[in-house]
Amino acid sequence: MKRRVFLILGSIFGLSSILSSKDTDVLKLSSSLQVKKTISAVQEHLFPTQSLLPSAKSMQVIEFLFETIMHKTYDKDIRLFILQGAKELERRERGVFVSLTFLEKERALRAYENSSYGSSWLSQIMVLTLEAMLSDPIYGSNIHQEAWSALGTNGGEPRPKKEYLFDEI
Amino acid sequence: MKYDVIVVGSGVGGAGVAYSLCKAGYKVALLEKGKLIKREEFSKDELAYVRRDIVTPNPFEEYHTIEERVDGAWVSTSTYASGWSFWNGNIVGGSSTFMSGMFHRMHPDDFRLKSKYGKIKGANVEDWAISYEELEPYYTLAEELVGITGRANTHRFSPPRSRTYFSQAPTKENEVVKLFDKSCKDLGVTSLVTARAILSKDRGTRKGCYYSNFCGSYGCSSGAKGSAMEALIKPALATGNLTLMSNTYVKKLLCNTETEVESVLVLNTITKEEKQLFAKVFVVAAQAHESARLLLNSANKYYPDGLANSSGELGKNLLFSGGGYGYGELHKDALQQISFASLMQKGLFINRSILDWYFVEHWWKGKFKGGLVEFMFEHQNIISRAVRSTKSEHKLLWGKALGEHLVSKFTKSKNVRFEVFTDWLPHSNCFISLDKTHKDTYGMPVGKLRIEAHPQDVKVGEYLAKKCEAVLEEMGATNIRSVINALPPPNLIAGGCRFGTNPKTSVLNKYCQTHDIENLFVSDASFMPTGGSTPYSWTIYANALRVGEHIVKQLRKRS
Ligand SMILES: Cc1cc2nc3c(=O)[nH]c(=O)nc-3n(C[C@H](O)[C@H](O)[C@H](O)COP(=O)(O)OP(=O)(O)OC[C@H]3O[C@@H](n4cnc5c(N)ncnc54)[C@H](O)[C@@H]3O)c2cc1C
Ligand code: SF4
Repeated sequence: MKRRVFLILGSIFGLSSILSSKDTDVLKLSSSLQVKKTISAVQEHLFPTQSLLPSAKSMQVIEFLFETIMHKTYDKDIRLFILQGAKELERRERGVFVSLTFLEKERALRAYENSSYGSSWLSQIMVLTLEAMLSDPIYGSNIHQEAWSALGTNGGEPRPKKEYLFDEI
Repeated sequence: MKYDVIVVGSGVGGAGVAYSLCKAGYKVALLEKGKLIKREEFSKDELAYVRRDIVTPNPFEEYHTIEERVDGAWVSTSTYASGWSFWNGNIVGGSSTFMSGMFHRMHPDDFRLKSKYGKIKGANVEDWAISYEELEPYYTLAEELVGITGRANTHRFSPPRSRTYFSQAPTKENEVVKLFDKSCKDLGVTSLVTARAILSKDRGTRKGCYYSNFCGSYGCSSGAKGSAMEALIKPALATGNLTLMSNTYVKKLLCNTETEVESVLVLNTITKEEKQLFAKVFVVAAQAHESARLLLNSANKYYPDGLANSSGELGKNLLFSGGGYGYGELHKDALQQISFASLMQKGLFINRSILDWYFVEHWWKGKFKGGLVEFMFEHQNIISRAVRSTKSEHKLLWGKALGEHLVSKFTKSKNVRFEVFTDWLPHSNCFISLDKTHKDTYGMPVGKLRIEAHPQDVKVGEYLAKKCEAVLEEMGATNIRSVINALPPPNLIAGGCRFGTNPKTSVLNKYCQTHDIENLFVSDASFMPTGGSTPYSWTIYANALRVGEHIVKQLRKRS
């Protein structure tokens, strides 16, 4: 029951609201600059510079995240959840999350993680960011295979020649 | 046009039959709902194949529902809601395209489990309608055609072989096997080389394995893996007798009389065009749960409860594989026999299994059917391994701490994994029926799988897992864990159309022909009344070749 449990536990509005949300909500949220900035700031906090892994910023992970969740094959409930989760984080932090200091962001995210909603949301952001960093560079992140190199590994051969996102066979 | 034979499903079960018939000169149409992906199109794109499942249907379009017991009541969840599904690879070649190719024959006593152990409380165990000796020639034929490589074992529980050798040597092994073999020896356990459906050397148009490091869940770019496509469909196409139709979804089988299937109703999944296709004989091999679903969806006025279901047994006694898995970490400082660099060498296999506990006679627990255990490296998927390592005490790791943790995980240790395979005892609360409310995107009722394990399965799994943990401990592994529970793995499915001699208690006869309808066969793992304690593919290949040969004989008799 994995996914349903995640949505029920995760939703602040309840499952039915998530499922009945109209596509226009998604459009509004996804084109909101603020939502993008918030998610990007969270990714940069999870994957900062001066870590053994390349930073979120240098790997352009935000582009990957939006390209992935806005693709027509992506689960629309999770898409909405990700967008709404960013809004909720901003609401909790009175709209200033992006401009908080490092320590304030740490406090805000750990506090958010204490709610089941926030915990699910942060897990989703973590997964999407790792997917960006550690997938084939063809997907636009993992530039020069830097994330693979940091882990002393590399993808298998043959590498993909095209992104599955555009594969309509 | 009327084909000699129409086969539904291009996996191991369908390809085995199609191959035999095409070789014998019969015209066969092989219908596959998935697309065709050519060998040269496969890549090791983890995001596509593992994270986004591009080779299974979109879960919102095609799905099933799963019924589990929750607080004493049966609760049904659709697979699009749970993310837990039994799709395993829906392209030409089916799931075998993505298998790891660890191949095992069943033991002769697996064919007569009821005779050996008697009735087990709460289970519907029946002996098979054939013996191991009847299937053995086809195991050998499959070994040759598929290109199964290995070493003939002489363990007391190894199934007898009519051929003492394998035609190719086993695939290459990582040096960790020295440590594994020594640890087993020290514990008085026999370690065996696992046969693999993987060529170690070039053969015809198929190249030998190049140890790509990403095998299970990925298509093979060399043709070394003995998938249905590489092993049987390509040779069948070469006869000129096979018409392979991808993107062809079979909605139902149609009859004009009680005794004969006349045609199949198919839908082109791209153009959405529907048409009927005609043949003399029909073979269903859509993977066990979907084969039963297709026959249930083909109910008609002669068979209102599902085609060829006069016994009422269609969909019943669904089998999975009991057991579970476990793993341990090997760190540099614990290694003595081998260097850390050789442990970390990428691509080479472990290829080791243990049969010592296949049949157990315990001084306290008594006599019972145990199972097989298989040792391997953890799948090397980079994203999945990283994602699994992001939690520490239920909190997410992030920042510098995450960086240090991941680098250490990936560069300072390697996980050895074991998989436990035990019988999934057949019983009355594990079956497939049609869901009354849910339909797939093509308008057909989806399958509803009621899943529950017999309590004995978990006990046996736990018994074997303890033994495996001891092996890992002897090897010097740390953080050893095992996960044994009542949840089945998604990729090993059998039963649902049992074969047997009595038409009142089985759907199929010993040749996997339905008792009710002479020109209808089922050739995937559906026929199995019990599943043995091994992964199924070698048995499915062998049986499908046997069924194919029988259909050839019948067609010859007719003409
Ligand atoms: C990752 C992975 C690893 C595995 N490793 C091993 C291993 O090491 N050893 C082992 O023995 N086994 C292994 N297996 C299991 C093995 O692949 C399966 O047991 C076997 O391939 C099943 O064959 P099948 O013919 O019954 O079904 P499938 O291969 O699933 O073939 C059925 C085909 O029918 C098609 N179909 C279904 N319904 C319709 C319809 N209505 N119309 C048209 N087409 C339809 C499906 O799309 C599918 O392609 C593994 C499987 C996976 C996924
Ligand atoms: S090359 Fe070898 S390891 Fe790679 S997918 Fe093929 S059989 Fe598996």
